[in-house]
Amino acid sequence: MAGLFAVLLAVVLGCALVSRFANLTNLQPRWAAALVIFGAGAGVGIGLTSILFLLVLLLIPGLPGLALWVEIGALGWISYDLSRRRSSAPTAQPPGSLPGNLALMAALALALSLVIGAISGSWDANPQGNWDAWAIWNLRARFLAAGGSLAPRAWSPLLTSTHPEYPLLTSAFVARTWTYSHSMSAAVPIALSCLFFLALVSLATGGVAAWRSRSLGLLLGLSLVATSTLAHAVTDQYADIPVAFYFAGALVMTLLERPALAGLLAGLAAWTKDEGLLFAVIFLAAAAVFKRPQLPRLLAGVAVGGSAVVFFKAILARGTASLLSSSRPALAQHLSEPARYHQVFNAMGSGFINMASGWYHPILPALVLAIALRFEIQRRRDVLFCSLVAMLLLVGYFFVYIVTPNDLTWQLQTSLSRLYLQFWPVLLLAIWTALRAPESTAIIQVQVSKSRKKTKS
Amino acid sequence: MAKVETPQIEYPLVTRAGVILAAALTLWGVVEYFGFESSYQQEYRDPYLIGAQSAKFGTFRETVAPNAVLGYLTDAEPGSVASDAMFLAAQYALAPRLLEKRTDSLQILGNFIRPADFAAVGRQHNLSLERDFGNGVVLYRSESH
Repeated sequence: MAGLFAVLLAVVLGCALVSRFANLTNLQPRWAAALVIFGAGAGVGIGLTSILFLLVLLLIPGLPGLALWVEIGALGWISYDLSRRRSSAPTAQPPGSLPGNLALMAALALALSLVIGAISGSWDANPQGNWDAWAIWNLRARFLAAGGSLAPRAWSPLLTSTHPEYPLLTSAFVARTWTYSHSMSAAVPIALSCLFFLALVSLATGGVAAWRSRSLGLLLGLSLVATSTLAHAVTDQYADIPVAFYFAGALVMTLLERPALAGLLAGLAAWTKDEGLLFAVIFLAAAAVFKRPQLPRLLAGVAVGGSAVVFFKAILARGTASLLSSSRPALAQHLSEPARYHQVFNAMGSGFINMASGWYHPILPALVLAIALRFEIQRRRDVLFCSLVAMLLLVGYFFVYIVTPNDLTWQLQTSLSRLYLQFWPVLLLAIWTALRAPESTAIIQVQVSKSRKKTKS
Repeated sequence: MAKVETPQIEYPLVTRAGVILAAALTLWGVVEYFGFESSYQQEYRDPYLIGAQSAKFGTFRETVAPNAVLGYLTDAEPGSVASDAMFLAAQYALAPRLLEKRTDSLQILGNFIRPADFAAVGRQHNLSLERDFGNGVVLYRSESH
């Protein structure tokens, strides 16, 4: 229970931070603002407290609990500051809502309840998660939670099957929470995985509802919840759901013109998984083309998570083999093998088809909406920005498979479905930015009638 | 007398139908997922027995110092999924102790699937049996140290 309180502390701190510094409270409608604050706050709180915990662990190894007092102090100060501030004027509301929005909200609540209900079965059946959870992410959390001279074992080169070079966001956060609660409860990684899933749905739903249209936001939330590979990955307790959250969060915040927060989330993606590094580079490159005015603040935001991951890779985990370094010897040979391209292309096609659950494929709602609503070209730069990020991410993943030093078949079998689930929210966001809002199809008829003016005698 | 203007907002049938169909499809997807996840969790219940590891290695943990770097010896077929799962599960249960797949360390964890004369197995690798914890868990000491 203490562990869950420590998780909650990070979320509340993150919500306070984004409310204070990212000016999200004036988004409209208010429910969308609340969803965005919760989603962004959870991701920011978890990411920043993981960095703070590691920093204190490295600088003052004997006092790992000091980070807890820093967090409490920061929360107290921001809460006091927020209470003194008056909320600024709300931003322009998106067009009026579709009559069925209440039904869409109810559907989203029902869908989330069913999915969380299904996921909860794993809390009893597989509380330690799937292979990589106990072999990589939570194992490294155990080393970090040991503290003192044992914490550096989380990136020891002796962990040959455990990828000591992987970034530490999830492991450091789990270790932080275990340290504060003096218990290595399995509930902490379980809660973390669920929280990132909820934050992803929340931020995407609220963000699109505030930016474009309430019904489009709710439909995006529904589409994400109904993506079975995404929901199933929550039970694995891997870092793929967190990184998918940070990808989507960075895009949503860019669309909402919160560049510092967008950059912060992109940098935290790099602090979560190596794929996040690729994303951060692609994200900044796309922003340099389509969002140039936002670029300086995007870069400032990226610097937080980016410097953590650079410090980790260049100083702490220096000497551990990375995918890039180990693929270098056979790089030219792999790049010139047409059979590899063929194999990866086929596997990616199969991977997309295999996202289906029974007869349902998660692309179906997007297809139906594309046919019914069609696309609009008013927000061309936003559409191109999101589409470019999605496309380059897919191309990047394609070439990672081409150059991988590992057995290609094994690599595809063990990781392709997870790369798809990281990519999926980005793809849906790209589609949703281009969709015409249902509200904009409204036909307004003005009926003019005569009525007797009543006057009081 | 006054003129009252009542704007009436209507949505084209194709818009309403599209939104309803998309929402209905997602609910269908959620129901499909619910069925899949429930049967998956019943079928794959802790397949690598991770939950049992803390009990299996409980006494071993109390005996060996947390800062130990241990060698590792097993009878599982090298390179097999079972072998990898056993090694990594033991590493998870014993962290922050570190395991290395070598037998020339001072202390060596023996992690066996099948019952055997563990002292004799150790002698083949120049190891002396220090303690047998049961369940195939053994602590060896390298005779060369």
